[in-house]
Amino acid sequence: MTAVIAPPQIETTYLGWAKRRLFASPGDTVLTLIFGGAMIWFFQFLLDWAVVNATWAEGGKELCREVSGACWSVIGARGRLIFFGLYPYEEHWRSTFACLLIIATMVLSCVPWFWSMKRLPVLWLSGFGAFVVLMYGGIFGLKVVTTEQWGGLSLTVFIFCAVVVIGMPLAIGLALARRSKLPVVRLVAGSIIDLFRSLPLLTILFTAAVVVPLTVPDWAQGNKLGRVVVAFALFFACYQAEIIRAGMQAIPDGQEEAAAALGMKYGSRIFDILLPQAFRNSLPSTINQFVITFKETSIVTIIGFFEIMASANAAVGTGEWTAQYIEVYFFVGFVYFLFVFGLSRYGAYLERRARLSNVR
Amino acid sequence: MLKIIISIISAVAVGATLAGPARAASGDTVKTIKERGSLLCTGHNGSYLGFAEVDDKGKWKGFDIEFCKALATAILGSPDKLQIIPVSWAQRFPALQSGDIDVIIKVTGWTMGRDTELGLQFGRPYFIGPTTILTRAELNAKSAKDLEGGVFCINAGTSIERIVADYMGARDIKYEALNFEKAEELRAALYAGRCDALAGFGPFLAATRFNAPNPEDFVIIDEVLALEPEGIAARQGDDNFIDVINWMVSALLTAEENDVTMANVDKQRANPPSPTIGRLLGVTPGIGDRLGLSNDWAYNMIKAVGNYSEIYERTIGKDSPYNLPRGKNHLWKNGGLHYSLVLD
Repeated sequence: MTAVIAPPQIETTYLGWAKRRLFASPGDTVLTLIFGGAMIWFFQFLLDWAVVNATWAEGGKELCREVSGACWSVIGARGRLIFFGLYPYEEHWRSTFACLLIIATMVLSCVPWFWSMKRLPVLWLSGFGAFVVLMYGGIFGLKVVTTEQWGGLSLTVFIFCAVVVIGMPLAIGLALARRSKLPVVRLVAGSIIDLFRSLPLLTILFTAAVVVPLTVPDWAQGNKLGRVVVAFALFFACYQAEIIRAGMQAIPDGQEEAAAALGMKYGSRIFDILLPQAFRNSLPSTINQFVITFKETSIVTIIGFFEIMASANAAVGTGEWTAQYIEVYFFVGFVYFLFVFGLSRYGAYLERRARLSNVR
Repeated sequence: MLKIIISIISAVAVGATLAGPARAASGDTVKTIKERGSLLCTGHNGSYLGFAEVDDKGKWKGFDIEFCKALATAILGSPDKLQIIPVSWAQRFPALQSGDIDVIIKVTGWTMGRDTELGLQFGRPYFIGPTTILTRAELNAKSAKDLEGGVFCINAGTSIERIVADYMGARDIKYEALNFEKAEELRAALYAGRCDALAGFGPFLAATRFNAPNPEDFVIIDEVLALEPEGIAARQGDDNFIDVINWMVSALLTAEENDVTMANVDKQRANPPSPTIGRLLGVTPGIGDRLGLSNDWAYNMIKAVGNYSEIYERTIGKDSPYNLPRGKNHLWKNGGLHYSLVLD
């Protein structure tokens, strides 16, 4: 007979929770009051600025001068510039659809049903294909819009997705190559990773955009945006490869040896046994890398691309609106927040899912 | 082994350097532009107040952009045959050498280093960038001398700091300098009354005044501490293109000198009041043939963007929010430094 110990009684009311977590001791109470007060003050201030004393009314500099809070009129007047950059005004609907499309592709590829070697490539190829057709045009009677005119949120999201989608397979390849048994393969992969990791992203992008046309013959140059995306993807892949390799190293060698003993082929050992576990192990760092990459896309403004940060700068860079830079940066910050927060919530969901399947 | 690697690397490097200038010098830019049917001109990666801005509809505007339009019209007959390529400050010179752009019209100072070492060739200055002083109207200062003993807000670590020190030192005017790192801080300090005056680049001062809580409280003093001539830059060794650029700028000034405007250009062309205007507008042929352009290029250009004065006032002058005084950018006869070349 084992004695059954009843679980400790926990008050489940809000009051009980507060008493237990916030006011358990005099020290706790003091800390709670201090931080609670600071938080109330901060949110009150934010609310006053962003909502209570703010205006959304249409108007210019004169109106903004009279408002003590945020003057969101700037978003009304310059919002389309922020979201679309230099994309031709009459064609903004194309950029809107293209952006929604690529976001939808991104969301769909987060659904487990799509996670197969057949479905995922098909999904991304069709997503990118449709995006480029919509943005670039030239068929179905759509006017051609060159990549120099692409901009705003669509460009930011496009660069991010393209970098991740090109970079991920590259990263897997590099990670596998680096633990290959063939010394040459191992050495080459290691050198590529070490080389790209030791160069600043800015230098790599500047070289791809500006120096390549000076040294490479015309026929091999391709499009500037394409070059930049590929260079960025290489950079991403080198970091991601090391993350995946870390995930692989956490798996005991015995598993692969057992699989080999059972007669499983190399591909099957990698894709059915090694990689799924490696991904699960490296999930937090992978999400981290995605988030960093999303925010780093704004570096492309230095080589003349009008992604959302550059268009925000252009939006405040006119006499009428220079004073409203706080509102515009706040707004763009919020857009970044939506994406990055979405990413991290998705990461948390994946981790929960991985834990559940571990239990099984 | 090491020797082989080094020789390979140096061979590639030599090849690259040979290929670079060869590409840059090759060809006749005007012909390339005509074949392409559009001029590739510089924009900005964001906005440079008054010179390259983006309007609500995503279209470029500003002083530099107007000169891009003028050049496009001169060569191709229409201001729409223009592609503005957004480039950052750092990117403009390599972008020109690689052929991403045909010409740099981007408030670019004509310096010896750029002229001789970067493989650039400058056209005559199209804008004279002044370093000047913005002060409070209530001080009633007419010159730097009147600000003796005052506090000057200055952008730390820029050439402005040195310019002010030199200028004031040479005239033995005592002042107190208050340095700030960022433009926003500089402006805030002036608005808050922490300094009596702000020294800086003319267009920046104009924007600072425009954004003041009460713009009438501030005036720009008509005294120039230093000048930077801004030129239009093209690739070295394309003489015809530089000719086109020089005569484009000159024609805008000739038009202003002779009161030829966007509005009256048709009337003037139908009945030229002077031989110079006749030649300018192509009534007497010659202005185009000799440059390899059509004879009505100057007419088209003035019809599209107006003369120098119209461009200036519309974008940074009195019809713009910035209201930057013409100052040294006036014609010579109005006290400025601009003059037209002789149209014979």
